[in-house]
Amino acid sequence: MRRIIVAMMMAAIVGMTASVHAAELTVDEIVAKANDVSYYAGDDGRAEVSMKLSDGRSRDFVILRKDVPGGLDQMFYVYFKDPSDVRKMSFLVHKRPAESDDRWLFLPALNLVKRIAPGDKRTSFVGSDFLYEDVSGRGLQEDKHELFETTDSQYIVKNVPKTPSSVEFSSYKVWIDKDTFMPRKAEYFDKNQKLYRRILSNKIKVIQNYPTALEQVVEDVARGTSTTSNFSKVEYDVGLNDRIFTERFLRRPPREVTQ
Amino acid sequence: MKRLALTNFSLKHPWLVLIMVVVAVILFGSQFPKVNFDNDPENMLSEDESVRVFHHETKEKYGLYDFVIVGIVNETDPNGIFNVKTLQRVDRLTKQLLSLRQGDDGLAQVAEDDAGTRWRSLDLSPDSAFKRAMGVVFSHNPNHLFDDDGKSAIIGDELIAPSVVDNIKQADTGALKLEYLMENAPQTAEDALVIRNDAMENPLYKGTLVSEDEKAVGIYIPIIEKTYSYNVASLVKELTKDWPEEDKIYIAGLPVAEDTFGVEMLVQMAISAPLAMLILFLLMYFFFRRVSLILAPLLLAVITVILTMGLLIGLGFDVHIMSSMIPIFIMPIIVCDSIHVLSEFFDSYRKYQNKAETLRHVVSGLFMPMLYTSATTIAGFASLATTPIPPVRVFGLHVAFGVAVGWLLTMTFVPAFISVFISEKSLHRICAVPEHPDQCDVDTGMLSRFLNWVGGFTYRKSWLIVLIATIIMGGSIYGVFLININDNPVKWFGKNHELRVADRVLNKHFGGTYTAYLTLAADSQKTVMGSQEIQKIIDAAQERFAKTKPAALKEFLVELDSIQSKLCSSGECDPVLFFTSLSDAAGKIDEKADKSWNALADVINYMDPDGLTYTTLEQKVQQVKDVSVEDKAVLLESLKADSSVTGEALMDKALDICDSFTGLSLREFVLEMNTELNAPAFKRPDVLRYVEGLQNFLLSTEKVGKTSSTVDALKKASYELQYVTPDASLAGDALATVEAENNSNFSIPKTAAAIGQVYMQLEGMKKKDSLFHMVTRDYQGENIWVQLTSGDNQDMTVVVDGVEKYVAENPPPVPLEIRWAGLTYLNVVWQEKMVIGMRTSLVGSFVVVLIMMLILFRSGLFGILAMLPLTITITFIYGIIGWVGKDYDMPVAILSAMTLGLSVDFAIHFLERGREMYKESGNWKDANARMFREPAKAISRNAIVIAFGFMPLLLAPLIPYRTVGFFLAMIMLVSWLATLFILPALIRILEKWLFKNTKSKNQKKEGRK
Repeated sequence: MRRIIVAMMMAAIVGMTASVHAAELTVDEIVAKANDVSYYAGDDGRAEVSMKLSDGRSRDFVILRKDVPGGLDQMFYVYFKDPSDVRKMSFLVHKRPAESDDRWLFLPALNLVKRIAPGDKRTSFVGSDFLYEDVSGRGLQEDKHELFETTDSQYIVKNVPKTPSSVEFSSYKVWIDKDTFMPRKAEYFDKNQKLYRRILSNKIKVIQNYPTALEQVVEDVARGTSTTSNFSKVEYDVGLNDRIFTERFLRRPPREVTQ
Repeated sequence: MKRLALTNFSLKHPWLVLIMVVVAVILFGSQFPKVNFDNDPENMLSEDESVRVFHHETKEKYGLYDFVIVGIVNETDPNGIFNVKTLQRVDRLTKQLLSLRQGDDGLAQVAEDDAGTRWRSLDLSPDSAFKRAMGVVFSHNPNHLFDDDGKSAIIGDELIAPSVVDNIKQADTGALKLEYLMENAPQTAEDALVIRNDAMENPLYKGTLVSEDEKAVGIYIPIIEKTYSYNVASLVKELTKDWPEEDKIYIAGLPVAEDTFGVEMLVQMAISAPLAMLILFLLMYFFFRRVSLILAPLLLAVITVILTMGLLIGLGFDVHIMSSMIPIFIMPIIVCDSIHVLSEFFDSYRKYQNKAETLRHVVSGLFMPMLYTSATTIAGFASLATTPIPPVRVFGLHVAFGVAVGWLLTMTFVPAFISVFISEKSLHRICAVPEHPDQCDVDTGMLSRFLNWVGGFTYRKSWLIVLIATIIMGGSIYGVFLININDNPVKWFGKNHELRVADRVLNKHFGGTYTAYLTLAADSQKTVMGSQEIQKIIDAAQERFAKTKPAALKEFLVELDSIQSKLCSSGECDPVLFFTSLSDAAGKIDEKADKSWNALADVINYMDPDGLTYTTLEQKVQQVKDVSVEDKAVLLESLKADSSVTGEALMDKALDICDSFTGLSLREFVLEMNTELNAPAFKRPDVLRYVEGLQNFLLSTEKVGKTSSTVDALKKASYELQYVTPDASLAGDALATVEAENNSNFSIPKTAAAIGQVYMQLEGMKKKDSLFHMVTRDYQGENIWVQLTSGDNQDMTVVVDGVEKYVAENPPPVPLEIRWAGLTYLNVVWQEKMVIGMRTSLVGSFVVVLIMMLILFRSGLFGILAMLPLTITITFIYGIIGWVGKDYDMPVAILSAMTLGLSVDFAIHFLERGREMYKESGNWKDANARMFREPAKAISRNAIVIAFGFMPLLLAPLIPYRTVGFFLAMIMLVSWLATLFILPALIRILEKWLFKNTKSKNQKKEGRK
């Protein structure tokens, strides 16, 4: 999950070559590095996520990710464990940044698998402050980027959407650690240039050589709500079977999520 | 003489008095710039009033806002509003409203394109210079659309319009599409019709967002404060002013009605008060012919209004709808007093030929009656302080203050003014010509002759008068019982006011523009497991496993029993602990029974269907460890029957065989039971079916046009999620079966788990959290939106009573606290308080006035006589209201105090003077004749001036003003009739008893002589 968000941030940082000191990296290089570190770390991954919404709701789920070799495509499998009424509910996403994503949904109580048509990705992920786009990534080509500032420890990249009418923000800034290329903070500004949304990546830990944020917080500054996700049992290079990411496994969950 | 003390002082030091008055005016007038207006009728209830507190809690809890409702109606297009052009305009308007921001110049700006690159600045100042001036005077900034931080008053996230509400529908590929109802403005007629179909198929939108007749579409604009409604309405008008004729814009909703009333009321005030002054001036000029003389009462009225309003503002009270009416209440009362003085002055001047002497004479004669008429009026208004409605209390006390000031000024300022500014010469010119008395008395001719006749008539036909009065009273009392207590702020506007028109039009098309919220709250602390729940588990387990797993079931029931006896005491157990233990126990039983088959199923699940045949499957199955050999054999034997099946189909078949042995595990069963038994109230199917029933009941009541709850959202989502597209080849019965199956899914899902899972989809819709306007986030509270086509309190009351009865007859499956919120309901509450409060205060002040009369006249009979005209007037006016069928609303209620205060005045003057005349004449016949000269003339002048002076109010566009105008005319007319006809008639009849003491005094005097 965390990695997905990282991927999104990194993906955003593309384009303009900033005229910085010769010894410094260009925006392209920052993006490439960050992408390399966070997005393509391992061929697959697994994490248990405990999501707490500030209004008291919670969602506990397991997320599996597997990258499709030779491109940006990825597959996700999300399996809910709690609250009890949505237990065994699952999602399957085939992410294809070049075209539209495929999404399936399984509702065990209705014994129903349903495909969800591609739609606006900037909608809430299961009612939390996370957006689908936070989870499955924002297309690289969708923003114009500029290296806004460089501090001792971080690069600050400003991103402006190429099609402003398609999103609710006018721009967002991302703070990226220089040493690990981990995005630590993103701030979104509305059409009146007011800050309304913030994402934080905390509790960075190196797992199997990959820096990993074990906590992520999304604050909806405008509404005054927030969602905190805690990641546990994070593993990379699990060797996930491709077939887990098929409809069959929605109804009959793989042991990788049930155990 | 003591009663002349004030007047003598004023005559001696007129300049001092005038200077003091000027200083007071400056002092109190300087408070005016501090004025703060409050147009919110909600403030009729005190801040800590429980209903109001609950209303705000509900708004907070469900994220509800006050809405400005914009209706767009197209009656000309065959497709109604579902034509490309109209929908495009609606989309454009929605996006403009969403983009609203404050420019550097403070004016509003809206984006001209989706990208937000071109902005248009809007100046909402009215075109008319008068209205602009009014805005400045009343500190109403028409461009005030932003809070202190410059944030838009429109809550964009919560705006409800086709372009920004969620829709859930089937996509072409059998997938589910989650997007806005009008994701993009239509480009073709087909696009428009798709939007129509989507809207009509969504129970949350049909009748609310789009009218069922397809002729109207709504935009519900949520605003941060009700007080922005008027400006938001102006903004919408500005943005739509270039729309073509066929797309008509109507703006409705209680907030905008209330706010508009506030704004227009102030303007009305600014027109009505001076206009009334002008007419008063003209009428007085007609009677008294001396501008300088009548200037005094008019100045007096203005000064009193300034002092009173200055006090109000200075004390930090907001100028509320009620208090803005203070001037219009004070003016007639003050003018009344001074007309008595003027009239007497005018008539007596001839006798004294000296200002000071005349004044002394006038004041000594009028002191007592005026003291008492003022005191009774003060009592009438001060009694409003006993009502439970804060603005009414403030209003009552300030009018009382004004009346007191008016009395004081009449005693001081008027004499001072006359002695300084009116030369004896100017008075002589007209009235000091004894040989031509008619010149002084312009109305001598008709009025005097008429009054003379009245006097004689009352003496001769006293019984006839009493008879007629009794009949009229009887009819009036009957009428009072016909009174219809009802109010609706929208009806404070004239019938043709744009808000009334919008109200009619939109309520014809939509399910109603008046919203009330019916909230149902479950006790969220209730998570106990009792023997009842345990019995449910046993029943369900038996039903589920008796045939398929009898041995496991038996074992399970034993475990259950032991857990129950271990964990539960006196029939109750901790649900968490109970279910954890039970699911662990069940898991162990499963382990024994299903382990081997589960392991087999798991292996099969991971197989690669590509090129999978029976042979490859057999090989893989045989390699599985920890599985009983018998089970493997059973599986392979069953599959062998048809070895032609390969790939996915083979896997499915193998898994089906495994499932037929494992079935549902006991552990799964326990977890399911946990979900069902511990689900929060509004995830429980039985509770939601109760909500559905309640909604159906609500819809069956006449004025409810529409209700919305999560049940509607659930049904729609459940239908769309489970929708199966009928195969193109299907026809007839087969097609009907599929359709019936689909339609049966338009219902509340059958288990708490299913409901929870559908809710989860709704929680993740495009418009975040819109579900939570109808249910709390913990699903322990439900909020049914009830839309009424009428905002009349009466209609709301019918609904409230109906629900109460329904709930009593149909108790909910779990204990629920059922309460109402919403402006429509709030109005009912304050109105009820108003009616009861007014009744109490009216009765209270009636008693107070009666006591005053008894003290003044020191006679029970006179006291009762004095009360008669006001009793008759009040009964008659309210009787007429009952007969005519005019609603007893806020303005009507408040006017009872005024009626009481004013209608007793004539009686006091008449009786006080009558008694004096009787003393002088010794018999009523002569006294009566004298009474119908000066005293009756003063009363009549008064009645005419007030009745006609406030006639312009009848033309006001705001109904409460017309009501005041009507009341003033009626008070004057009826109390004039009652005083000049009924009182003398009764005195004639009761002469013997009334003047017993007076006579004996006279006789004593005579005896002494």
